[in-house]
Amino acid sequence: MVDLEKLRTVAKETISRDDVKYLIGWRQGTYGFRVTPCFIEEPGEAEQLIFSPLCTNNLASYLIVTEKLPLPRGEKPDTRKVAVMVKGCDSRAVVQQLIEQGIKREELYIIGCPCEGVLDLKKVEAKFPHILDPVAAQWGKDKIIFQLPEGVVEVPREEVLAQKCLDCRDPNPVIADITLGEEIEAWGNGEYQDVKELEAKSAEERWAFWEDKFSSCIRCYSCRNVCPMCYCKDCILDRLNPSWIYRSTNISENTAFHLSRAFHLAGRCIECGECERVCPVDIPLMKLNQKFSKEVEEKYGYRPGIDPEAKPLQSSYRPDDKEDFIL
Amino acid sequence: MSEQQFEPSVIAFLCNWCSYAGADLAGTSRIQYPTNLDIIRVMCSGRVNPLFIVNALQQGADGVLVSGCHPGDCHYMEGNFYARRRFTLMNELLNYVGVDAKRFNMSWVSASEGAKWKDVVEEVVENAKEAGPFEQFRRNKINW
Amino acid sequence: MERMKIGKEKFGDFLAALDKQLYAPQKVGETLRFVPITPEDKLDLEFSNTTVPPKSVLFPQTETLYRYELGKTDLNLPDDEAEKVLLGVRPCDARAMAIVDDLFSWDYNDPYYQGKREKTTVVGLACSDPEVNCFCTSVGGGPASTEGLDLLLTDLGEVYLLQPLTEKGNNLCREAAEVLEQATEEDAAAAEKLHQEAAGKIVRKVDTEGVTEKLMELWDHSLWQDLSRACLGCGTCTFLCPTCYCFDIQDEAEGLEGRRCRVWDSCMFAEYTLHASGHNPRPTVRERTRNRVNHKYSYFATKFGKIACVGCGRCINLCPVNIDILNILAEVIKEAI
Repeated sequence: MVDLEKLRTVAKETISRDDVKYLIGWRQGTYGFRVTPCFIEEPGEAEQLIFSPLCTNNLASYLIVTEKLPLPRGEKPDTRKVAVMVKGCDSRAVVQQLIEQGIKREELYIIGCPCEGVLDLKKVEAKFPHILDPVAAQWGKDKIIFQLPEGVVEVPREEVLAQKCLDCRDPNPVIADITLGEEIEAWGNGEYQDVKELEAKSAEERWAFWEDKFSSCIRCYSCRNVCPMCYCKDCILDRLNPSWIYRSTNISENTAFHLSRAFHLAGRCIECGECERVCPVDIPLMKLNQKFSKEVEEKYGYRPGIDPEAKPLQSSYRPDDKEDFIL
Repeated sequence: MSEQQFEPSVIAFLCNWCSYAGADLAGTSRIQYPTNLDIIRVMCSGRVNPLFIVNALQQGADGVLVSGCHPGDCHYMEGNFYARRRFTLMNELLNYVGVDAKRFNMSWVSASEGAKWKDVVEEVVENAKEAGPFEQFRRNKINW
Repeated sequence: MERMKIGKEKFGDFLAALDKQLYAPQKVGETLRFVPITPEDKLDLEFSNTTVPPKSVLFPQTETLYRYELGKTDLNLPDDEAEKVLLGVRPCDARAMAIVDDLFSWDYNDPYYQGKREKTTVVGLACSDPEVNCFCTSVGGGPASTEGLDLLLTDLGEVYLLQPLTEKGNNLCREAAEVLEQATEEDAAAAEKLHQEAAGKIVRKVDTEGVTEKLMELWDHSLWQDLSRACLGCGTCTFLCPTCYCFDIQDEAEGLEGRRCRVWDSCMFAEYTLHASGHNPRPTVRERTRNRVNHKYSYFATKFGKIACVGCGRCINLCPVNIDILNILAEVIKEAI
């Protein structure tokens, strides 16, 4: 487990460095179980930082999503590093961004936080509704310990952990300049149980399943925006000429949107589960993404975001790649 | 419309250097094959965006074919290798959301394979016929 | 008309007696939204609120303005003549309709919105179980507020109490008079008690006194940078806001046919204000977040004399990064002199 004192000390030291402009971490949110990303610019602010099972956000997204204003004439760009706190899955996002040259290693200072799994707030808030006062949580052995207003409550981890964390194979950061806390033994088995269950159904049943989910989509694009791997400057969804996917919401355009979103992550998704977490209408997007994780692993022995030296899956090939469906 | 009468519409993306030339050869050799195919010539199978396939299905195709040079024969050395990975994954995705596996096909047809082209077209059209009219996420089915 | 009541088991008969297109919250995918129903459909009104507000019926996410065909000169206008009844609308969302009404009839009477609005009877259900982020009482509403409603239902356990509020509401009661009973004084008192209890359950509050001016004072304040920095620029807060009404107009073609439609748009998207030149007057999340808050609490309030926020709490509940409009307002109030 990551010691809070150590975390804050390291953060203070990091932000005091001359070559770091700011640090991205987590702090307590405005109510209940919520945690919010924060941007630390002064050593004094490091006291706000936390690391707990409530720290669901993948902060690697901010390495990419943060908008920069055009520089005034004559002004030099700030080339100092951005320090970022990462969990295991988040670190895979950083690695994948490095593989794709979306960011440069020298622009980053990575603080690794071994993680025993974060919570699914939908499960937690259903269990403990109507809680306004900030709640702290921490990991116990096979359980999560909540400091609720009425006292300490322990819940078995399977009941509240996010699904992606129950299957996690990378609890430890795969890349870091400094790692806080001890390494954790991985528990995931990589069996893709969810995907296999759906695959076992007939094509009609599968379509019925997805038709129901896709038809509820409101196209707010939060899945795209939160994704650390979605960082095209000119997104196909924003294009009007040609307009590949119309803006109207109906099963046709929604399906086209979800297929293209999922496909753009084929061989790139690092399974942080942020898309599914942020979806306001609870579309099980990880079931789509994990399908690719499974296929890519089975067919090409490839797991995105593990090896910074690897080539992106879809811009590399082997002459003997499988082609059993090709006529 | 009864099963027998259904004539599917199939969109085929053919690479300029092999498959399109192969189809040309089939034509100049007067090989007879089904006419359900609408051919779109692209420079390389590696140029085909998976969105083309989604869009073809949206706009009323009952089947889609992507055809390129045999692996190793690509005019651009490696375009079809990328296409192979890409469409292997796309095929899995379409299947997974419940689009009939028979609707999406890929083939390697070289410029000298007019006869193979005929076989491919027959199979692809037969596949699309078996799969029936595509209605799952066709655009014009949606009430405007 | 007087207050009426109906046993819950007979509610289907009430709906069957109305010769109108019914809309009620049903599960689509995993979430509740207003969809067309028939009187036989199972109705479950035991929820705090729908994820998608009922604005999706009067101001659909995608609405055809007209259809056209290549080579023809006439336009094909959609006609939505059906008389509608919206069932189970929460009072906050009904207030939102009253707010949006002003906008769609201000400098130009929007025929698409107003046409549907005039033909729609809004049947509300008093809120008994507010969520943690509900703050309707701070912005002029309440769990049993009647503004924007034609008929208010109150769940008294075994029966619904019906309180007609407008002529449209009276008409509904008249149409279904056979299945309704006269409510007693006790029923009305019980409902009143429930309304007060529900209001007591609302825990989050904000003092909106003078906030319109305060926001303008703080136009360039550093708090906007601090409070918006985590924003991802998605459209969740605005698309699901019952008072957000921004739209974009798109042409969509299919073969020789096409349509012009309007679709929801969001001021939180970077492309919302992007000029053709590439210049963007709201270049970062700071300006966009400020615009969202200012629009609701300042610009709209200045123009129409009411705050364009009904305190439903959706934007707080569903924000992926915990950007909390109450927190922003609290900071604004603290910072303003």
